[in-house]
Amino acid sequence: MFNYIVRRLGQMLPLLFMASVAIFTLVSLQPGDPLDELRMANPMMTPEQFESLRRAHGLDQPIHVRYFKWLGRAVNGDLGRSRTYGVPAAEFIFQQRLPRTLVLTITSLTIALLIAIPVGIFTAVRQYSAGDYTITFFSFVGLSTPNFFLGIILLYLFVIFIPETFGVRALPPGGIPDLMWSDVQLGRVTAGEYVRQWATHLILPVFTLATGSMAAWTRFMRASMLEVLNQDYVRTARSKGVSERKVLYKHALRNGLIPIITLVGLSMPALFNGALLTETVFSYPGMGRAIFDSLVGKDYNVAMAALVFIAILVVFFNLMADILYAVVDPRIRYD
Amino acid sequence: MYRFVTTLVLALALGFAFAGPQDNSLTVGTAQEPVVLGDLLNVIGSMAIASEVELWMYVGLYRINLDANLEAELVTEVATVENGRQVITELPDGTQRVDLNLTLRDDIFWSDGHPITTDDVAIVYEFAKTPGMSLAGPDYWARFSLEVIDERNFVATLEPAQSSDLVGSPIPVLPAHVMRPVWEDVQARVADLDPETDAGQIGEIYRGFFTDFGSPSAINEGRTVYSGAFKPVRWTPGSALRMERNPYYHLHPENQDAYVQSVEYRFITDTNALLFAIVSGAVDVTSSVSITFDQALSPQITARAADRYDIWFVPGSVWEHLDINQFDNVQQSADLMLSDINTRRAIIHAIDRQSMSDALFDGLQPVSHSNVSPFDPIYNPDVPQYDYDPELAVSILEELGWSRGSDGVMQRTTADGRTVRFELEFVTTAGNAVRERQQQFIAEDLRQVGIDARINNAPASVVFSPDFINRAYDGAWTGMFMFAWVSSQASSLNAAGYLCRNAPTPANDFAGQNAGGACSPRYDELRDQAVAELDMAAALPLYQEMQAIFAEELLAIPLIFRSTPYVVTQGVTNFVTSTFNQGFGYPPAAPELVGWAERGAEMVFDQADFGDQFE
Repeated sequence: MFNYIVRRLGQMLPLLFMASVAIFTLVSLQPGDPLDELRMANPMMTPEQFESLRRAHGLDQPIHVRYFKWLGRAVNGDLGRSRTYGVPAAEFIFQQRLPRTLVLTITSLTIALLIAIPVGIFTAVRQYSAGDYTITFFSFVGLSTPNFFLGIILLYLFVIFIPETFGVRALPPGGIPDLMWSDVQLGRVTAGEYVRQWATHLILPVFTLATGSMAAWTRFMRASMLEVLNQDYVRTARSKGVSERKVLYKHALRNGLIPIITLVGLSMPALFNGALLTETVFSYPGMGRAIFDSLVGKDYNVAMAALVFIAILVVFFNLMADILYAVVDPRIRYD
Repeated sequence: MYRFVTTLVLALALGFAFAGPQDNSLTVGTAQEPVVLGDLLNVIGSMAIASEVELWMYVGLYRINLDANLEAELVTEVATVENGRQVITELPDGTQRVDLNLTLRDDIFWSDGHPITTDDVAIVYEFAKTPGMSLAGPDYWARFSLEVIDERNFVATLEPAQSSDLVGSPIPVLPAHVMRPVWEDVQARVADLDPETDAGQIGEIYRGFFTDFGSPSAINEGRTVYSGAFKPVRWTPGSALRMERNPYYHLHPENQDAYVQSVEYRFITDTNALLFAIVSGAVDVTSSVSITFDQALSPQITARAADRYDIWFVPGSVWEHLDINQFDNVQQSADLMLSDINTRRAIIHAIDRQSMSDALFDGLQPVSHSNVSPFDPIYNPDVPQYDYDPELAVSILEELGWSRGSDGVMQRTTADGRTVRFELEFVTTAGNAVRERQQQFIAEDLRQVGIDARINNAPASVVFSPDFINRAYDGAWTGMFMFAWVSSQASSLNAAGYLCRNAPTPANDFAGQNAGGACSPRYDELRDQAVAELDMAAALPLYQEMQAIFAEELLAIPLIFRSTPYVVTQGVTNFVTSTFNQGFGYPPAAPELVGWAERGAEMVFDQADFGDQFE
């Protein structure tokens, strides 16, 4: 196993190198460059002046030269500055956008799991009951409702309809609170107020984001549990007179959860990608918008920092999944 | 349970209680967030929202008022020939030099109480003249020089001078006492680098220098000081920027307590979410970068306007038009005879521009007849106009040898015996819904006269890349290209867009903004005379004749001038703008006078004088 892990780690480096080359090349091959807009806005700029600008932005060199310059600096921890936001790309991605995205995605993932697992078990145990049919109906509604549509409906409901009908403004129309943790440290606001403001801003996007996963995982959990509940060892346990509760939670659930763990594991990198549509509808400045905007705005340093980071996560979580398979399933051995 | 829910809802609601007049604050909703503030030389980039926000916290030597006239702000008076502060010298090569002798007021201070002196002008000059500094307007700074006489007097010189040089402040002002120590460190770092091989790194260091004074963290740490009516006190990235009154600002009204004491820009980058914020009352006014024109006319906004807010449409200087490929070396363009003025006349007669404005914009976006805004001081109202007349369009085409084919599309036989159909490529930016609707409207009009408009759209990043827009000569696009030019007074005086020499061809390495290759030698001649003429009275007839030629010869097909929508809560006073207010039309005209009527703010400016209200 140890040799396997070392070998996989060794394979990761060329893989990541190739991924970064591919990302850099694709990003750089987009038509035009970030200075086109500047030139369009300034008809008086001469070609010489424009060329000097390109030089100042390091855009005059061939792609491979630019790539190796980027790589040289990146391995020393310097990911360059965001051309759009002015700040260092690492600060923009890892200090500003990533924490916000993680708050949103982890909260919604947790809520989705906390609801989907027990509801999935319930629908499996009470198969074909009224509750099962009702939950199945809502699961399909959740699965087939696009996030952006649900988001807009929720915004209308909570930001316009309820305030206009009942005269109470309960939730903000998107964005994030005008608060930083330093405000709590400096005593400007209490920790409770900080949490309350974040909670009010997160309710709608978290609910929107959680709905789709909740619906899908409820169905997976139901199917997985039904399969397990029909296994011989469950029947044996019941025939031995083991209590139904013990059969369910000790024998069936542990095996029924395995596919869900795989699904959750595979969705881990997506936690860091952000949720572009939900972030857009609620004007939530997270990773999804950062990646999209950096690609559209040709902000190469930010795009590279974010995409290579995600590539690293994908490779890392794949390795973790392979290792965990061996841990969970004794039949799998790596030599 | 009921009590719990009620308590929860009320507790949540407390955080969003209506502020505005209650605490004498103003919340401005905007769909963009600035990157850096105080980058007055546009070294990092130029963003509309940054320019607008900076109007609250920085003032210039001059202010461009609602009527597009200059007013003295940091200087004692505007330099004119009459007061002897503007000296024009004829140079041996036939060009002119202009010297602007300016005196700073003696009652001006930065927000830390430090006086504003000529050192604050000189440091900007030093920045602008530093090799490797990536300036947005290098052509201007190449002609600019500065002589400091004493702490309050200096001479700004432009050689050779151009008419546009006299629009706006000749140079911005930044706090030398704060920036110079850091600048010296930056210069020391750059001294070790090679300007040729390390140009990219040097550029990044300079951009970092300005970022370090204007980023959110710099503002939150109070790293710099401000000259405007307000100073930023807090910037939460992705959320809001809050500003408070600058006690050292010199033009505060006497009863300044009657006017807003704090201003907050709320960044809601999705325009649908911003629309929700407006309707819910979370913002008091909208910025120049906010909801789209059709959102402002949507029932969600208009149905709730009545006694809550006013919806204004302020004519902008954004000009929508059709550039036509007039390069005869491109076979498709030559076959359609697009370089023939009569073909372009047929096209413009075929398009019902007024109906398009009425149908898509409630008539609030005026039809244009040239490329100069009706609100520009050089505007010529008497240019030739081509009305909608499809019969005339058809007869012009028939005179050119076209006749309708069996499918209703015009066709003709060329001199070399080929039969060509009038299939006209029609390009614009994909994803811009408003523009794509205009495109459909125009394509349908053209179809009526037998012109088969073939839509070929792509994202803005593709169509505006030099390999596309500037390659009409190579046939990258062969027919019409619909896009917009944003102009200021200065750029309309420069009038460089449609010069023959600015047509991108192999001769100039495909540089230049005259994408379609329109050419009128007389237009070029007049433009060169006008630009060199510093006496506006003498230059005006030249600019007006240029517009007449542009309209007559249809160097491009003019469509409409866009208007900018503003939603202003009733009771907000003096949040007013015009087409060229402060250069590009950003609000407000005088930040120090924005207030709430119910707090006693006196109305000085009326938006009705500068825009149309939605009724």
